[in-house]
Amino acid sequence: MGHRVPHVTHYLTEHFADDGYTTLSGFRARGGYETARRVLVEQSPDDVIGTLKRAGLKGRGGAGFDAGTKWSFMPRDGAGPSYLVCNADESEPGSFKDRVLMERGPHQLIEGILIPAFATGAATTFLYIRGEYAEPARILQRAIDDATAAGVLGSNVLGTGFAHQIVLVRGAGAYICGEETGLLESLEGKKGQPRRKPPFPAERGAFGRPTTVNNVETFCHVPHIFARGVDWFRSIGTEESPGTTLFGVSGHVERPGLYELPLGTRLDEIIFEHAGGVRAGRKLKAAIPGGVSMPVLPAGHLDVPMANEFLREHGSSLGTGGVIVMDETTCMVRVGCVISEFFRDESCGQCTQCREGTGWMHKLLLRIERGSGTEADLDVLEDVAGKMEGATICAFADAAAWPVQALLRHFRSEFQGHVHAQKCPLPESFEI
Amino acid sequence: MSAPGKLRDLMLRITIDGTRYEVEEGLTLLQALDELGVLMKGVDIPHYCWHPKLSVDGSCRMCQVEVEGIPKLQIACDTPVREGMVVHTRNERVLKARAGVMELMLVNHPLDCPICDQAGECKLQDYAFEYGQMHTRTREPRRALKKRVDLGATIVFDQERCILCRRCVRFCREIPGTSELAITQRGDRSTVETFPGKPLENDYSMNVADICPVGALTTRDFRFKVRVWFLEEVPGICTGCSRGCNVHVGVADDQVRRYTPRRNDDVNDTWLCDSGRMTYQEIGAPDRIREAALRGDSGELIGATIDQAIDRAARLVREAVEKEGPGVVAALASGHATNEDLAALRGLLAALGSETHGLPIVTGAGDALLVRPEKAANAEGARAAGFGEPGLLLDKIRGGGVRVLIVLGHDIIHEQFLGSPEPLAALDAVILLDTHRSRLEQVADVVIPARHLAEKGGTVTNFEGRIQAVPAALEPAFEAVAEAHVLARIASALDLSIDDGSEHEREAD
Repeated sequence: MGHRVPHVTHYLTEHFADDGYTTLSGFRARGGYETARRVLVEQSPDDVIGTLKRAGLKGRGGAGFDAGTKWSFMPRDGAGPSYLVCNADESEPGSFKDRVLMERGPHQLIEGILIPAFATGAATTFLYIRGEYAEPARILQRAIDDATAAGVLGSNVLGTGFAHQIVLVRGAGAYICGEETGLLESLEGKKGQPRRKPPFPAERGAFGRPTTVNNVETFCHVPHIFARGVDWFRSIGTEESPGTTLFGVSGHVERPGLYELPLGTRLDEIIFEHAGGVRAGRKLKAAIPGGVSMPVLPAGHLDVPMANEFLREHGSSLGTGGVIVMDETTCMVRVGCVISEFFRDESCGQCTQCREGTGWMHKLLLRIERGSGTEADLDVLEDVAGKMEGATICAFADAAAWPVQALLRHFRSEFQGHVHAQKCPLPESFEI
Repeated sequence: MSAPGKLRDLMLRITIDGTRYEVEEGLTLLQALDELGVLMKGVDIPHYCWHPKLSVDGSCRMCQVEVEGIPKLQIACDTPVREGMVVHTRNERVLKARAGVMELMLVNHPLDCPICDQAGECKLQDYAFEYGQMHTRTREPRRALKKRVDLGATIVFDQERCILCRRCVRFCREIPGTSELAITQRGDRSTVETFPGKPLENDYSMNVADICPVGALTTRDFRFKVRVWFLEEVPGICTGCSRGCNVHVGVADDQVRRYTPRRNDDVNDTWLCDSGRMTYQEIGAPDRIREAALRGDSGELIGATIDQAIDRAARLVREAVEKEGPGVVAALASGHATNEDLAALRGLLAALGSETHGLPIVTGAGDALLVRPEKAANAEGARAAGFGEPGLLLDKIRGGGVRVLIVLGHDIIHEQFLGSPEPLAALDAVILLDTHRSRLEQVADVVIPARHLAEKGGTVTNFEGRIQAVPAALEPAFEAVAEAHVLARIASALDLSIDDGSEHEREAD
C-alpha cells in the first residue's frame, strides 16, 4: 500500500502508512473517536459551529467556502429531518486526494462527519462516492459497518445519546455530480444536473430537506481542530487559509504523488523541493494549481503561495489542490484540446452557453491544433469563452471557460504559432 | 386576475425600461409580465424554456435582463419581483447577451429552414432575426443526429433541430403526468428520448408539438401538409366535448388543416386533448351530408335543393298540425347545435304550440384535465335552452303520440339511446337537419345539410355555463345551411315568426 501513502505527511495523513489505522481498533488505539465523544458530551451545537467559524476552515472541494459559515446556514428549528452529505465524487482531473483519505483514513472521515452532524442536528449523512471508486467504497462501507456494530454510529453514538447513520451511495459516473446540487439530484435517483439556486441546499437540499454538502477532506480536518484547538490550527497555513491541504502533484515531475503541506506553501517549492522537480532535467513550462478547471500559470508565475488569496492575484485559484506540471515539450494548444474535450464530455447539457460553448471551444481548439486555424479563430475562441462565464445555472461553464482563457492569455504566441505554421510546432508532444 | 371585491394580493411597484408597473408579490418577472398581458406585447423578453403553464427550467438563458443593483444579468423566468425593482430589458448589455445566446443556440442547429415545417412559426427564426447576427462565425461541422424519430403514434422528432429547452419533457411530467419523455446523454450530445418500449402515448401528446419552439417536434397529422404562412388562423371552439376548449382553426384553401390550442386560462390553459384536436377532421370528412334529399314515392331518398327540402318540411309539419293538432309535432335538439340554432328550434316549437322535445347527449370517458364526459360542445347550452332528457319524448313516439319529428343531429341513434333508427320508422315524417351521414337517413323524409360550428360561428355554452362566441372560419365546400336559418325558413313558410337567437350573441363573452 506504500504507493498510496503521501510523500509528505502532517496531521491528516500522519498515520496513513500504518495499515492498522484503517481498522476501527487501530484507529481507536491512536485516540480515534475520543474527540468526537468529548465534543458531543461537552459542547452545544452552537459552540461547535462557533469553534469551526473561529478556526476558519475553508472547504477543500474547490470553491473554498468557509465551512463553519456553511454549517451555520442550517435551520435549527428541528422540524423534520435534515441531512449532511459527504461529497466523495472526486472527479476533477488532477485530483486524487480524497481517494487516499478514504482508503487510508476511513474512520478519521467518520469522526469528522460526526461532529458537524451533531452541530447541524443531522440524523443521516449520505456519503456520495463516485462510482469508479470501488476500492474506497468497499473500505468505507466496512468502516461504517464496523463503527455501527461498535456503537460509534447508530442510535446512541459513542454512548452520548446522539443518533446518526451514514449511508454510502455510489454514483453512476459523471463529473457534474460533484457539483453539490447535481450530486443531490443524483442522490435522489435522478439525472445528475445542477439545480437552480435559490433555494440553496441549506434550505431545500436532499429529498427537499435542509442539507449541507462538504468535501471529504473538509470533514477530515474537523476532529484535529477540536483535538488541538483553534489556535493550533490557525498556526498552520496562512491567515486567511489555515491548516494543511493535500496537494496531488501529477504530470512531468520526478516524484508525482500526494503531499500534505500547509496552505500557502509556494507552488515552485511543491514542484521542485517536494515533487523532485521536472522530469529528466527538462525545463518547466507551466503548471495548473488546482485541477483542470483552474487557470494555468506559466513558469514565471510559480513563486505564488498556494492559497486562494494569493492565487487570485495571479488569476487562478486553489481548486482541489491537484497540481498538474507541464514541461517544455508540452504543446499548450493540445493541453487546451484535452481539457476542453473533458468539459465537452461532462457538461450536463442544460444551459445553452455551456452545452454549445464547450463543444464549440473543443472543435475550435482541435482545428487550431491541427493547423487549420486562423487568427480570427483565436478571437472567436476567446469570445466564446467569455460568453460562457458567469451566465449559467452552475459554475461548470466558468470551469470550462477559465482554462481556455488562461491558455490564450499566457500562451497566445503558441496558438499563433499553430496558425502561422499551419501545423503543431511540437508534434512530439503527447498524443491527443 | 383578482375578482372584484376580493382582497387584492400585495402589490409591488417595479420599473421596466422606464415604465412603472404594479405587480403581484410572489411572481417571477416573466409571470408578472404575462399576468399584465404585456409579455412580448410591449415588453419583449425572448424565452425558449419558459412556458406560462410549466415549471421554471432556467436553462435556455435567453431571458436575461439587467436588474439594477445585481452585478450579473438575471434570468427573468427565475427572478422574483421585488418592491422598487428596476429592470432593463433592451440595453446594450442585455442585447449583447441575447445575441450571444442566439449564436450558441445556432452552433449545432441545422439551418434547414426551407425544408422545416416550423418555418414561419419558429421562435428560433424569430429571435435570430430580432436579436441574432446576420453571419455565422462557426466553421465547425454541426452535430449529426437522427432526422426522423417516431416518439409515438402522433409525434415525429428531428433530433438535430432540438434546442433542448425541455418544454416537452416537463409537459409530459407535469400536465398529463405520464413522463414519457426524458433527456438522455450529456452536453451537446443531449437528446430527447422515450424509454425503450414506452412510446409517447397519452391523450395530450400533440401539445408537445405546439409548445416546441422550433421544428423538432411535429405532429404526424399536420407535418408537410401546408406552409403555415398559407394558413388563416381563426378563433374557434373544439366540438369534441362540453369543455369547449379554445382553438385556432387553421384554414387553407377552404379546408380546415388543423386545430391548435388557443390560450384561455379559464377554460383550457394552453392545452388541447388529442381526441378533441382531431375532431377538425369531421369538418372536411367524406361522410358530410352534401346535398338535401327528399323521400320519393318509390321510398328512396332523392337529391333536392335546399329550398325544395324546406318547402317539403313545412308542408309535412302543416299537414300534421292541421290533421291532428300541434301536439303531434316534436323535436330532438342537439348538443352540437349552437345556442342560436337551439333558440330557433325552441321558437319554432313555441310558435307551433308544441311542448314535446328531447335532448340526447352522448357520454363517454372524461379525464381530470380537460376531457368532459359529455361529447357535445353545447350540451349545457341545450339544457339551458330548456331541452331535457329524451326519455319522455321517446315514450310518446313509441305510444304513437308523435307524427312529425324534427331532428337535429343523429345522437338519438347512438347505442346509449335508440341504438337504431327503427323506432322512428312508424312516424309520418322525420325531418333531419344534420352535418354528417348516419343510419338516421333510412327513416328521414327530408334531409337538409347543416353547417359545422366552424362554418357558421355562433355561441356555445360549456359545462361550466361559460358562453363562448366564435366567428365562422370558412365556407363549406357545398351548400349547407345553419340549423337556425333552416328552422327560421320553415317557420316563415308556415307564416310563423320566431326568435332568431341573436340575444345569445350579445350575452357571449
